[in-house]
Amino acid sequence: MTEFKAFSKMKELMTNYYIEAKTTKEKPIAWITSGAPVEFLFAMDIIPIYPENYAAMCAANHQSIELMEAAEAAGFSQDICAYARTDFGAAMTQGGPAGGLPPPHFLLCSTNICKTVIKWYEVLARNYNVPLFIVDTPFLHNGLTKDLIDYTVTQFIALESFLGNFLGRPFDRDRLTKVLSLSREAADYWKKILYLGKTIPSPFNSLDSFIHLGPIVTLRGTRECVDYYKLLYEEVAERAQKKIGSISEERYRVLWDNLPIWFKMRRLERFFEEKKCTLVVTTYANSWGGLSNFQANEMNDPYELFAASYLNVYINWGFENRIKYLSQLIDDFSLTGFIMHSNRSCKPYSVGMYCLQGEVSKLTGKPGVIIEADQNDPRVYSDAQVETRLEAFIESMEPVS
Amino acid sequence: MFKPFHEVVSNVSKTILKHEKELGCPVIGVMPAYFPMELIDAAGGYPVQLWGNNLPLGKSDAHLQTYCCSVARSVLELELIGGAKMVKAYAFTSLCDTLINLREIYRRLFPKPTVELSIPFTQTVEARRTYLKSVIRSVVKGLEEITGQRITPDSLAEAAHLHGRTRALQRKLYEIRREKPGLMKNHDFYTATKAGFFLPAALYNEMLEDLLEGLDKFPAPEGKGLKLLLSGLVFDPIEIYKIFDELGVHIVDDDFANGWRTVSKEELQVENLVQGITEFLFNPAPCCCVYNPDNDRHPYLVDKVKKAGADGVLFWYTKFCEPDAFDRPQLINRLKEMDILAASIEVELSMTSFDAVKTRISAFCEIAEG
Ligand code: SF4
Ligand code: SF4
Repeated sequence: MTEFKAFSKMKELMTNYYIEAKTTKEKPIAWITSGAPVEFLFAMDIIPIYPENYAAMCAANHQSIELMEAAEAAGFSQDICAYARTDFGAAMTQGGPAGGLPPPHFLLCSTNICKTVIKWYEVLARNYNVPLFIVDTPFLHNGLTKDLIDYTVTQFIALESFLGNFLGRPFDRDRLTKVLSLSREAADYWKKILYLGKTIPSPFNSLDSFIHLGPIVTLRGTRECVDYYKLLYEEVAERAQKKIGSISEERYRVLWDNLPIWFKMRRLERFFEEKKCTLVVTTYANSWGGLSNFQANEMNDPYELFAASYLNVYINWGFENRIKYLSQLIDDFSLTGFIMHSNRSCKPYSVGMYCLQGEVSKLTGKPGVIIEADQNDPRVYSDAQVETRLEAFIESMEPVS
Repeated sequence: MFKPFHEVVSNVSKTILKHEKELGCPVIGVMPAYFPMELIDAAGGYPVQLWGNNLPLGKSDAHLQTYCCSVARSVLELELIGGAKMVKAYAFTSLCDTLINLREIYRRLFPKPTVELSIPFTQTVEARRTYLKSVIRSVVKGLEEITGQRITPDSLAEAAHLHGRTRALQRKLYEIRREKPGLMKNHDFYTATKAGFFLPAALYNEMLEDLLEGLDKFPAPEGKGLKLLLSGLVFDPIEIYKIFDELGVHIVDDDFANGWRTVSKEELQVENLVQGITEFLFNPAPCCCVYNPDNDRHPYLVDKVKKAGADGVLFWYTKFCEPDAFDRPQLINRLKEMDILAASIEVELSMTSFDAVKTRISAFCEIAEG
């Protein structure tokens, strides 16, 4: 991991956030999916809790196996998303970092990342006996359409009523406007940081982005989040200006598609450093930067703008757009190849990947490799297999000129 | 009585080719689940339902990971080996992440057109109504482009009636099975249901009418076998029903997406198509793939078991089907709380050895029989 002074700030931010969530007596808690419109919650002083994030933390701390085993013993199949299994296990055993998550008062789920979260959140709704609000953001087979935007906006308005009724006070739209602008500002900084990766050598790598992702996922919409990414941006920009790379020597520059392998971060970091290969950019971390893609002057109605942002996430795109985007990133970031993580847990990200790999390679002339793994389940991961494949792939790339 | 149905199921391609020629209609492959066949028929298409098959998987491995369900893998295999040449286009629903992406794979790999009925997973009634309206508009347009024919109020009403009749006849068959356990072999029953996936509705209706007439004459058989209810996505591989038949077990009801969850649907209301399709998608039987808290699977299944007089529930888990897998543990707990015996078996459509399944079924039956 590249050392950034801002890192301690992030740790402080995230610790404070978890402490507040665990100790609050006044603020309601909502469990929420990573792609859901959290801004509505901040506008009403609700603390959002991200089971996905927590599950990732469990895996990074090498605690996911025992938690998943607990969930599997209770009947949850090994075939379901390992994030869900990890969290179910954490709740059953009160295990995981900080002894589990504070229980939810209600649940907010958006389908822009997958339809699987509906199933996951239905289980939670039954377990905790709390209401579940779904913001359905259908898959963009043919790009964004007015119908899809209208559909999403109508649900946003319904979400406002739901929150107002739940809390017994009117929804605060003025506050939402402020939160939205903070959210956008943070996403802008995040995107600018990620795009500094275009510099050769890259001052910031994808493993760094996975580590620094916490606040943009959980706290976007807060002032602290903006301040943090501003700080980080300044640091990364300085490195970019001084041409300080994130690894000692950069011969190869690659894209990473799909979620990180949370339980292998350190080992993979060492592996890539040894091979002089920088993971420069990821479709995954970019997703939260994409939330700032639509600017206020593009649409008159802020709700439409907001809906467009939440519909328009990479994992919710049809393949034509995925191929274009991947190819564009490969060009823009001067990459020498790309790695696709075929993630057993995550079908929306992985099903169709073989087809994408072939087409992107053909279009860009750059080699791509697919590794079979899982973001959270070390039991289906083999160091030897993955590393042998990656080695062969790295050897097949032309180094940066 | 079941011979004609067995013939269809043993000769699927031949059957489809024969009727395609006779009808002169383009064959449209319908992916799981709940795509209203009525729309295809009304547009002058010949809908054929693809719920997977038992082909050995080979070519599809280059496109789908082994952690995808065998339904998706086997339908793709069929297309890749040239077994679906007569299928001119595909109709999808947004049932699960796998199928959503599978449509994209088809769009990249094959020139055949596709349409998708995107199911709105929202509780916001107004949002659901307007969105579904736009979805139906695009599905209708897509189908009309494929067949080159317009869907008219008359063709729609006629198709609704035809398919409504199919399901009404199927419900009658389900009723006989519930009321006269043992009268039909389990394997025969599912063969009769499966034959409908491939036949033109009018012909299938006639076959069902004949069957029902034949069955009506028989009283309920004497003797008492164990009565089970099955729940899962797809009822295949139907070979397994021979195991139940050998054991003398009667499946008295089911909760399969391609079984009762579809069969239970009333005639599609076409005067207000948006409302009609809403009703069609969300009612009356709940499905793990169609979020609808107003129609909870828990009380539904408990009630269904009671009404069927089943001694237990066997969950029929098509490996890697996440929507099904998420629901199962809580459902099993709920059934157990109600003193209803429940267990699950894991199946893959491409499986060729049924020994492990047989052992598991036998063990479950022994427990159920006390
Ligand atoms: S990892 Fe994939 S399947 Fe699991 S919750 Fe995230 S997007 Fe959904
Ligand atoms: S069996 Fe399950 S996972 Fe497979 S296509 Fe059907 S709903 Fe999707």
